[in-house]
Amino acid sequence: MRKSFFAENPSVLWFLACLGLFTLGVTVLAEATGAGVISTSFVKTLGKVLCLCLIAIAMDVVWGYCGILSLGHFAFFGIGGYAVGMWLMYARTEAIVTQNLAERTIPPTPTEINDAIATQIFGVVGSTEFPMIWAFSHSLALQLLLVVLVPGLLALVFGWLAFRSRVTGVYLSILTQAMTLALALYLFQNDSGLRGNNGLSGLQNIPGFEAIPQSVISMAFFWASAVALGLGYVLFARVLSGKMGSVIRAIRDGEARVRFLGYHVESYKLFIFTLTAVVAGIAGALYYPQAGIINPAEVAPIASIYLAVWVAIGGRGRLYGAVIGTAFVSLLSSWFTGGGAPNINLGFYTIQWTEWWLVLLGVSFVAVTLFFPGGIGMIFEKLKRNAS
Amino acid sequence: MIRIFIMVLALMCLPPTAHAQELQSLLQDHQKSIAKPSRKTVGPALAALVASGLSNVPEFLENWQAKEVYSRKDDGLFFYGVKSTDGLVLTDIDAKDVVATVDPKTAQQIKPNGGVRKEIASALVQFQLSDPDLTRRTGAVDAIARNMAGSMLAPLMGSIDNEPDANLKARKEKLANYLNARFGANSEDRIASIEKIADDLSVDGRAILSQILATKFEVTEGATKANLAATFVVGKDISRSEAYDLLVSEKGLPPVLSDNELRLALEDHVEGGKIAGIPIAQLNDLTKRNTVYDALVTEGLVPERATDASIDAALNRYQIHNVFLEQDRAVTDAAVKAQSSVQTRVGVNQFFDLSLDAVSLASIYFLAAVGLAITFGVMGVINMAHGEFIMMGAYTGYVVQQFVPNYTASLIVALPLAFIVTFAAGVAMERLVIRWLYNRPLETLLATFGISIALQQLAKNIFGTQARPLTSPGWLDGAWIINDVVQISYIRIAIFVLALLFLGLLLFILKKTRLGLEVRAVTQNPRMAASMGINPDKIKMMTFGLGSGIAGIAGVAIGLFAKVTSEMGSDYIVQSFMTVVVGGVGNVWGTLAGAAMIGTFQKGVEWLNPSNTLAAQTYMILFIILFIQFRPKGIIALKGRAAGD
Repeated sequence: MRKSFFAENPSVLWFLACLGLFTLGVTVLAEATGAGVISTSFVKTLGKVLCLCLIAIAMDVVWGYCGILSLGHFAFFGIGGYAVGMWLMYARTEAIVTQNLAERTIPPTPTEINDAIATQIFGVVGSTEFPMIWAFSHSLALQLLLVVLVPGLLALVFGWLAFRSRVTGVYLSILTQAMTLALALYLFQNDSGLRGNNGLSGLQNIPGFEAIPQSVISMAFFWASAVALGLGYVLFARVLSGKMGSVIRAIRDGEARVRFLGYHVESYKLFIFTLTAVVAGIAGALYYPQAGIINPAEVAPIASIYLAVWVAIGGRGRLYGAVIGTAFVSLLSSWFTGGGAPNINLGFYTIQWTEWWLVLLGVSFVAVTLFFPGGIGMIFEKLKRNAS
Repeated sequence: MIRIFIMVLALMCLPPTAHAQELQSLLQDHQKSIAKPSRKTVGPALAALVASGLSNVPEFLENWQAKEVYSRKDDGLFFYGVKSTDGLVLTDIDAKDVVATVDPKTAQQIKPNGGVRKEIASALVQFQLSDPDLTRRTGAVDAIARNMAGSMLAPLMGSIDNEPDANLKARKEKLANYLNARFGANSEDRIASIEKIADDLSVDGRAILSQILATKFEVTEGATKANLAATFVVGKDISRSEAYDLLVSEKGLPPVLSDNELRLALEDHVEGGKIAGIPIAQLNDLTKRNTVYDALVTEGLVPERATDASIDAALNRYQIHNVFLEQDRAVTDAAVKAQSSVQTRVGVNQFFDLSLDAVSLASIYFLAAVGLAITFGVMGVINMAHGEFIMMGAYTGYVVQQFVPNYTASLIVALPLAFIVTFAAGVAMERLVIRWLYNRPLETLLATFGISIALQQLAKNIFGTQARPLTSPGWLDGAWIINDVVQISYIRIAIFVLALLFLGLLLFILKKTRLGLEVRAVTQNPRMAASMGINPDKIKMMTFGLGSGIAGIAGVAIGLFAKVTSEMGSDYIVQSFMTVVVGGVGNVWGTLAGAAMIGTFQKGVEWLNPSNTLAAQTYMILFIILFIQFRPKGIIALKGRAAGD
């Protein structure tokens, strides 16, 4: 069975091979493990890009294959990040606080330790107590479970409500956008229990591994992200192959007809929506320890729209297209906005790319939608067709 | 203050022998306290001066205050002095003629300190109350309103009858009424005044009532003799810890030790790694720490602490009352009654005020969203760049103001110009982009998003990131104040009028014109419309232009009260989507209903939780998500074939 799946989907093997080569290549060139050509910060950037690729293939599945343009998948990504961030922040603060309290004459009581941690974490928002949602933050295992459970449950409830009332098309897009906006506004509040505007910070320091340099930790996360992307790719390719995949594609192309054929469209949509939300949560949980900080702006509606832009530029309905689009646009974006791109002097005006990059992106995005609806992935398709 | 007041009264009752007296001799009676005034001792002198009724007292007080009074060192007589190049020119206080020009060293300048000057100023106020100059009278009334001193009641009352200015007279009467309510001579007078305040919505009136009803805590073992406001039940009116803290401060009971204080107290008594015989390593537990502390208490090393049992006993023994500072029961009863009546009326008015706010917010949402609703209805596409059209309109207004300095004129130019600019932009966008994507609505959404980020960045590159002002003309400044609670700014009224105007205009276009007929036909069934000879392409172009043009006008309107930045569009775009989705697509009435609902809901939540507008928006969005469950096609849904996918 497994063999036949890969035999039927050679592109999955191709992708895994490319990903493996890329990962090995970076490892050989990186600062910690090899030649030192690639700096630690760039390894982190690449690791983050891999996480973004993971959420992008999830987006591609939900939009490109199932036809649900969700403008709220970054909400799940953010929730995953917050869930892991809570443990990272708690465990690290606990280590620091215990060390400080150990200097006292009388050994601290559990309450004292707890209060000290709470003051340390929530001092910035004027609180000294742990909110309810931090109940599990002491345990890595429970928080990791939340990375999967919270996005999954939220997507399940939201999707059930939305699909049940047959909210479709543009309406659903707006509704998902409203969802992520509501989450962002909630997180912006100081009494949300997640440090409001300040977000969670210092996430790049992994408790228990303080002695290990960041260059090694970043390598570990890079590998973890690559493995997650590989697994995610195989998982989605598996889901989309066979009969189930056909039904999902059919829903995209003619929802009413699939319903008339006797399929329970809502269940399929709900399954895909929830599954992709869970994957998005996992991607977020891997992303934010590499980014080091998470704040409510990360889940603002614009982030999810950019996600759709990446997938569209890469080419919808092809998993590798989403990966290519995301990697291409996000790396290009950091090159342009980071001042890496040379300014163009027109004589009467100098185009500074830090200012004009977004204009270029917007215009090229319009161009892609108008003239290359297949995106970058289309090029591969054409090459393949020419070869055969 | 009260002392001065009594003295004024006492002196007023004396036979007016002082009238014959000259000011100088009166001043000499109080030579010391005037020459070396201090806040504590200046009272009697001021009272005597005020009571004398001499016409030149105010002038003297003013000079005194301005440090222009000198005392001659030889005989201690007072003069007004002005320094000149020759020396000090002394002027007689009564005769007002120049006495001599002397060496400044022979006379002492009197320099009252800040506290004394304040006393002088309040003594002066009563003269200024009847000053011929209106500004000075108003200033005096202002001063009394600021201080609300009982001593001012009599002079204020005395000045009412001869007040020529009707406005100021009304103010004086009101102020006198306030003062009478607080400081009046007898209960009947005060109650009458308090009952008058019951009709008053102003902040000052409410402040007077709450001052009369000021309370303090009293802790007794039985009933209290004081004027009781309420007896507090622990756990209901007052928390247990607050109640006990009160007992600690009032009755000197042992305080509750915080965990930290407990630890610090214990740390002082460590002996050889042990406290009271227990090794400190075991003290990582609160109960054990308490036991050790109690052991230290029995040894007399630390003061007693409050335990749960002792707190319970104390709370059972004592009662906590909230008593009025005002002793007179009849007065407080009247004030409580007046306060509750004022609060009811304030509540009603606040509700009215909030409704006005909701209406104004709804008009903004309507203006921002109605263009979106029309294009969505006719073409089935969502224009993500709609917010940027709003921004474009606002910047058009800003640019016009750079060329037309007169704000009224610039507004008259800007409104149609904004419409033209955004109409053109909309038509261009429709022709270049949207036309090619009619069968792919989700991709329109993304393509227009691309345009949106490009336009936003373009505006940032042209106009910079800082907010640009769009100044409203003078006649739109200020607010329409109905009473102290209900007011609404003229700009918001103007926006409301603008929204009404557009509602009427759109309804007219859609229902009464050829274009409207064709638009409605295309909305309902594009193919059928086309076969009837309507050119759907042209209609779609015109509709898109119209929708964008309205966004431009909304931009000018919004720019008048909010800041004009490149991001202002994105502030409104999500709300506009919500309005359209809630209201129902392609229907002006639907947009109106959606805007009204969202405006009302948002203001309603803000009313329940005024400190937190973020929470209000969160709840509003959750509410909309739920609302869509029940009416997936909005409040006013299209029926029949037009409703198809």
